[in-house]
Amino acid sequence: MLAYVIRRILATIPVMAVVALFVFSLLYIAPGDPAAVIAGDQATPADVERIRASLGLDRPFLVQFGDWVWNIVHANLGTSMFTGLPVTKMIAQRLEPTLSLMAVTLVFAILVAVPLGVVAAWRAGSLLDRAIMAFAVFGFSVPVFVVGYLLAYVFALELEWLPVQGYTPLSEGLWPWFSNLILPAIALGCVYIALIARITRATMLEVLAQDYIRTARAKGIGQSGILFIHALKNASVPIVTVIGIGIALLIGGAVVTESVFVIPGLGRLTIDAILRRDYPVIQGVVVLFSFLYVLVNLLVDLVYTVLDPRIRY
Amino acid sequence: MSVEALDRVAIPAGLAVAPALPDVLPPVKLRRGFIGFVRRHPTVAIGGALVLLLIAMALLAPYLATVDPTALAPARRTRAPSPEHWFGTDMLGRDIYSRVVYGARVSLLVGFSVALLSSLVGLAIGLVSGFLRWADGVIMRVMDGLMSIPPILLAVALMALTRGSVQNVIMSITIAEIPRVSRLVRGVVLSLREQPYVDAAVAAGTRTPAIILRHILPNTLAPMTVQATYICASAMIIEAILSFIGAGTPPTIPSWGNIMAEGRALWQVKPFIIFFPALFLSVTVLAVNLLGDGLRDALDPRMAKEY
Repeated sequence: MLAYVIRRILATIPVMAVVALFVFSLLYIAPGDPAAVIAGDQATPADVERIRASLGLDRPFLVQFGDWVWNIVHANLGTSMFTGLPVTKMIAQRLEPTLSLMAVTLVFAILVAVPLGVVAAWRAGSLLDRAIMAFAVFGFSVPVFVVGYLLAYVFALELEWLPVQGYTPLSEGLWPWFSNLILPAIALGCVYIALIARITRATMLEVLAQDYIRTARAKGIGQSGILFIHALKNASVPIVTVIGIGIALLIGGAVVTESVFVIPGLGRLTIDAILRRDYPVIQGVVVLFSFLYVLVNLLVDLVYTVLDPRIRY
Repeated sequence: MSVEALDRVAIPAGLAVAPALPDVLPPVKLRRGFIGFVRRHPTVAIGGALVLLLIAMALLAPYLATVDPTALAPARRTRAPSPEHWFGTDMLGRDIYSRVVYGARVSLLVGFSVALLSSLVGLAIGLVSGFLRWADGVIMRVMDGLMSIPPILLAVALMALTRGSVQNVIMSITIAEIPRVSRLVRGVVLSLREQPYVDAAVAAGTRTPAIILRHILPNTLAPMTVQATYICASAMIIEAILSFIGAGTPPTIPSWGNIMAEGRALWQVKPFIIFFPALFLSVTVLAVNLLGDGLRDALDPRMAKEY
């Protein structure tokens, strides 16, 4: 077990290295010379050269890369070319709204999708099953900003049940925080719900055909007991895997959702950085999200052994 | 041996032959031709018909559009839908109906190009990875790395490097989608390599290129076609998202994402600007996804049961 955990953690190192190399290369080949930007319009070529040397930009690619990785390990993502602030500081300021949105969406999506998938598998072939699977196809097809605007129009503008846009920090109270996140979470959760519901239905169908389910039924265990305790527990490994993989959808979707609902999070930071061509910020956000994604999937792999003791490594 | 054949065999005395059983099940009449196909694969038919309709709309855009999609008319800004302007006008007075019709060109071009390009490159990488043991480790680590960057972020990061143009959008989304195809192809190759008929081909002295061409490639076609339709759908969504956040198709070209981006500031008072491109984008993606689901069920009945 411990050997497996160590092996699995070591296996993330090459993945992280590829991400780092790729993202660093982006900045390296990015158009525009930071030294020229800093030097300004009046600078002579010699000035630019001096600034370039002082920034260490005249060193070989691999040396600069090593330096950059060293800085990341020490939580230094460089400074923004636009605001002059450290990128880590800019990200830290925007972290709360994005993490809140993703956490609420994750909980909401799992609470909705897993029961939907279970019911669809239980009543496989019925009208209910078809309705749920049709909803899943729609969930995959309607882009997150379309759902977002539709929800905001109906529930915020027309019915006035919920705030239209914006974000309230958690420190200002639970309900103000939560009420602002309901619509964005539903919009962002659609694709995710479709994905999880589909895989839940598929694995549940497989598990429900097993002999031990028949045994459980013969023992007189009730329908819900069979579905949620005997079957769902045995179907949990693929479901958890997809929840982990689907985090990529949440991350990408968060960028758009934040823009629709005017949430001042990392997504807004990314969009502003693109419009200003602020490469260190773009780099920082991509590195952060990718490492988060790798980390989540590492956790998922480690959770397997807890969920299913039959798995031994 | 069939029952009829048994009758003709001389039956030894004392051996009873079971009487021929009548057909319990009526023969299944498989309808042939177009109607039969629609009956058996309704999702392929619906999705395919919608996709064909949209392709026709994109090709015939100059004839379907009522006015030039880029023509400015400041006097007629943000008009609600009317017989004159079916989908209304945007804040520069441009006819949204004409812009939406032309927008189909960008979405379909991006969707099909990305599906085709990423399939071809992914196929090549997957084949190399599946056949060359020494390259497999390195290639798959690189693909794992690329796959751990969320596709939208990867495309956004690449778009930040280049000018906004349709070609660059296609390139960026293609790079983001390649790892998925190559993983799929590699998986298929690795499982096919263990098949007895591949062993037989090797034993018969068939060279590797011939084995790939004759035995491996035809078997990757079905899963790759299904994958390509899903990539096409996802590419159209990513294109719209890139344009929507200002990192995609240049604003001078009418694309669904661009029309929505332009309507963003006014969405609370003039929701129709966003509504029509959103509707067309959703229907298009839905059509392609239906086609993909139907193709998956038709090409691989084993997968149909799983989902």
